[in-house]
Amino acid sequence: MRFSQRIFCGQLTPEDIDRPVVLAGWVDAFRDHGGLLFIHLRDRSGILQIVFNPKVVSAEVCRQAATLGAEYCIMVGGQVARRLAGTENPNLETGAIEVLVTELEVLAPAAAPPFAISEKAMVAGAPSAGAGPVDEDLRLQYRYLDLRRPAMQERLAMRHRIFQCVRQFLDSRGFLEIETPMLTASTPEGARDYLVPSRVHPGSFYALPQSPQLFKQLLMVGGLERYFQLARCFRDEDLRPNRQPEFTQLDIEASFIDEEFLYELVEELAVRMFAVGGQTLPRPFPRMTHAEAMETTGSDRPDLRFDLRFVDVTDVFPGTGYSIFRQILQRGGVIKGFNVKGQSAHLSKNVLQNEYAKEIAPSFGAKGMTWMRAENGRLESNIVQFFSPRELEELHRRFAVADGDVLVLIADPSRATVLSALGQLRLHMAARLGLIPPGRLCPVWITEFPLFEAAEEGGVTSSHHPFTAPDRTDFDPGNIEELLSLKSRAYDLVVNGEELGGGSIRINRPDVQRRIFAALGLTEKDIQERFGFFLRAFEYGAPPHGGLALGMDRTAAMILQTASIREVIAFPKNRSAACPLTGAPSTVKREQLAELGLLNLGGAETLPGVARQEDRLDRLSWVSRIGMTAEERPGLAAVLNEADQLAEQAARHAGPEDPVYSAVPVTNRTRPGTEARRSPFAESGQLLNNAPAVKGSYYKVASILE
Amino acid sequence: MDSIFLHSNPDPAPAGDGPLRGLKVALQPNLAAAGWPAGAGSRALAGYLAPEDATIVRRLRQAGAMLPGYTRMSEFGWGLQGSEAGRALREHAADAELVLDLAGESRVAAARAGACGFKPSYGLVSRFGLIGLMPSLEVCGVLAGTPAKIRGILQAVAGQDEHDFSMADEPVPDFAPPKTKARRPSLGIVTEALDLMSGEQAQAFRDLQGSLARSGFIVREVSCPDFPLFALVHRIIGSVEASSSTGRYDSVRYGPRAPGARNWNEMYLQSRGAAFGPLLKRLLFQGAFFQFERYEAYENACRIRARLLAAMQRLSAQADVLALPAGDGEPGGNPATPADIWAGFSPTLFANVTGQPALILPPAPDGARPAIQLAAARLQDARLLAAGEELLDAFQGDS
Repeated sequence: MRFSQRIFCGQLTPEDIDRPVVLAGWVDAFRDHGGLLFIHLRDRSGILQIVFNPKVVSAEVCRQAATLGAEYCIMVGGQVARRLAGTENPNLETGAIEVLVTELEVLAPAAAPPFAISEKAMVAGAPSAGAGPVDEDLRLQYRYLDLRRPAMQERLAMRHRIFQCVRQFLDSRGFLEIETPMLTASTPEGARDYLVPSRVHPGSFYALPQSPQLFKQLLMVGGLERYFQLARCFRDEDLRPNRQPEFTQLDIEASFIDEEFLYELVEELAVRMFAVGGQTLPRPFPRMTHAEAMETTGSDRPDLRFDLRFVDVTDVFPGTGYSIFRQILQRGGVIKGFNVKGQSAHLSKNVLQNEYAKEIAPSFGAKGMTWMRAENGRLESNIVQFFSPRELEELHRRFAVADGDVLVLIADPSRATVLSALGQLRLHMAARLGLIPPGRLCPVWITEFPLFEAAEEGGVTSSHHPFTAPDRTDFDPGNIEELLSLKSRAYDLVVNGEELGGGSIRINRPDVQRRIFAALGLTEKDIQERFGFFLRAFEYGAPPHGGLALGMDRTAAMILQTASIREVIAFPKNRSAACPLTGAPSTVKREQLAELGLLNLGGAETLPGVARQEDRLDRLSWVSRIGMTAEERPGLAAVLNEADQLAEQAARHAGPEDPVYSAVPVTNRTRPGTEARRSPFAESGQLLNNAPAVKGSYYKVASILE
Repeated sequence: MDSIFLHSNPDPAPAGDGPLRGLKVALQPNLAAAGWPAGAGSRALAGYLAPEDATIVRRLRQAGAMLPGYTRMSEFGWGLQGSEAGRALREHAADAELVLDLAGESRVAAARAGACGFKPSYGLVSRFGLIGLMPSLEVCGVLAGTPAKIRGILQAVAGQDEHDFSMADEPVPDFAPPKTKARRPSLGIVTEALDLMSGEQAQAFRDLQGSLARSGFIVREVSCPDFPLFALVHRIIGSVEASSSTGRYDSVRYGPRAPGARNWNEMYLQSRGAAFGPLLKRLLFQGAFFQFERYEAYENACRIRARLLAAMQRLSAQADVLALPAGDGEPGGNPATPADIWAGFSPTLFANVTGQPALILPPAPDGARPAIQLAAARLQDARLLAAGEELLDAFQGDS
């Protein structure tokens, strides 16, 4: 048998019957049938049943075959045969045939895998060994085994095809794929940088790119006109379930274009990418301004697969008899709501009042929630008696109420609170009531974002990034009110409530750029330090340009409909931004830090991680989460020295006895006649009475990360 | 001077009417009493209001006891720094006090106050509602004028508690007073315990030993060569358990939270750093050291503990009750270190390690006779209290 003769398992069909073949792959599953040994042989192309029949093959090969275990890597020679009628396996594409083995070579034996890999049962109707769920961290720790699963391989193959589709399409439109550096200077994106210390320049750092933003604009200044890159980007952000510290984005930039060029380009590209996964995106994508999205869905990435659009009814209630609304309106508040059409059968008074009004809406930040159910042509609720017939009639009209509808209203002095709470309620109810049609794709462009947001410490910050072009350039950089009214020429592509990407038309005139920096409150010195090289480039005739970046992990996950983006990444980090396979991130040796000049960084201050490795006092303070002051250190160090001596004494005096941990042997006991129940203090909320910080019915804690 | 009670119960009248009717029992703020500020002497529980009664407290109320309030206690009851255990008794504000005994605090405090102090067998009284520090060593002790009063209180509070799953399914000793006078109990003097005392103290105890023999008690010397190891075992196990059980003070469910933390690790570090006093913090660092750096030291201590348990069981077979000196609970240094605290309790630690009951009889008011500590095998509490009464009778006969 030679590898050159090898053909793939998945290639064989009934047309190959009687053909001699050489196959190589892994033992997926096996079944011993009284001397007759059946094996599912798996390679990347598929699975094929191979048979060791003592009548066909030598006793020696049969003996060797009997030693095979799951995931052994083997090569076999034999002949393709039709399976006996009635023994076909509909689980396999090759289920009508098998190979009668005459030769076997064990290429590498395998240790028992930590979880079952086989996805295809050997017998019709039976579950496969690998059908059960496996802990994700275990999967990631043994990712190389996890990757053997056909489903994983299929996903990676599809990802490859999506990427190929991108390259072919953009190439056909005249875009060049150009790489930009990984080791670069820190850039002004929203997140923290991953830093890479330089050995040659001690105390100086490279940053890994959060995006190739500056470089792609410099490529435009450089006259490349149309660029794209499937770029790896790095962001040191707070942990979120569906976020990776490094991710792949499709980065596009083009010169002498406007928004319409990009909409057309990206829509066509998206349609093609989704088509790889057999999904159809309807074109053209609708467009919605940021203001409209916020006012009607409470989100800047609206999920438009279902309705539940907000209606403003603030003007229905001036002078209302309902005191809560009246007070809110007196404070300049807002009342908005949505109509859950025909769902009153699924939203009982109890659910609306006790779950939504009391628990869920407050957890979304609302102080209360008003609900009404339409029955027999009337609106019913616990407070309906406070409203005048005119007000109720107006609600009927505004929300186009029919019997069976449920109105949900939020009133609050703060518009932001109303939008945010109502937006979360909208998603919650849609999910709970099953209002999201499966398989539907609703792309939308969100446009006309505000250029600036008010900063907490006064002044303004960029909503996007400071290179985004404003909708007009005649603004006064000192007039904060005017700045906050400016719109940007930015756009986001949102599909089903997820932001797949975004971009903008950039500023190409240095004078405009300087005014933006001035509006942001940057001094000339700041500007020179942070963006000097960039601004200089724009002194030399930069073309009008713009672009967009698409999150490819997220896009692939959506196209392939996986539960998490980790399913479309070969070696992802887990939810804690760690890699269970390699153990990254890991500590490094002191010498390595010394070589990089990191030991004495920050003057007398010791580096947190390093000091903890070095000083057991710091280490113990950390593991037991008890802070200490400088004055306390000597006393605490002294008791540790004492503890050392106690440990020595204990070692000297300990005998062979088994340790006793308590004078009364500890056992688990259940008292007869008692039953598990929630503490009444938990039920009454009394447990929260002693907590230093509470929000609703939850303990409030500091965020996990900054 | 401060008031006797850190918290005075505005309504001390009992709900129940039982054998303890009218008896005033002072509590420490580490025993939950509904609505009382059960701060356990620690900043970690500042402002904490107990949601319900501890089992002991409930049983006291049901038995008719009056609960005048919380006394002042050391941080989580460890040592007597800042504690005023015994004061309510001395100043007649209470007939009895419940004082947590981790290292001998209830016994030493009683001796100082001229009262009897009793540490019951481990596992005899419920820990439900107790804010503890060293779970395998501590037990709620009782201070009262006479062993009879202690017996009455134990009768009311001891025994199975469906809320305390750590209690073994063991029979509760019968605390009823002995009907007939048995023969005088035999006393076993643990000689190694005397070696821990100063020459003067040891001599005073020897004198007492002689007078007891003359009063008709059979007095014999018994030996436990490993007795000095009780301190080692207690120090390691106590610090580990303290480090472990204070993990709950996270400024989330109760206790003050340090302001300004940017994330929850900082919240823990800062809040917990501010929660514990300097002495306790040292104890907790020692415990953390054994837990996280030298775990084998903890296991070794538990091995020695097994040997010590067996040794004390053998001693208990040699006499009805064991007799030892009392210790004074005075820390050796100022400011005190954990080692100083333990040094003050060296003769009383053993009973916390073995879980056996121990009773201290106070010194003669004129100082002519030192305090004496009696101990018996675990669950021999009733016999121990009866022996204590006999000794007191004999002392009174002397004077």
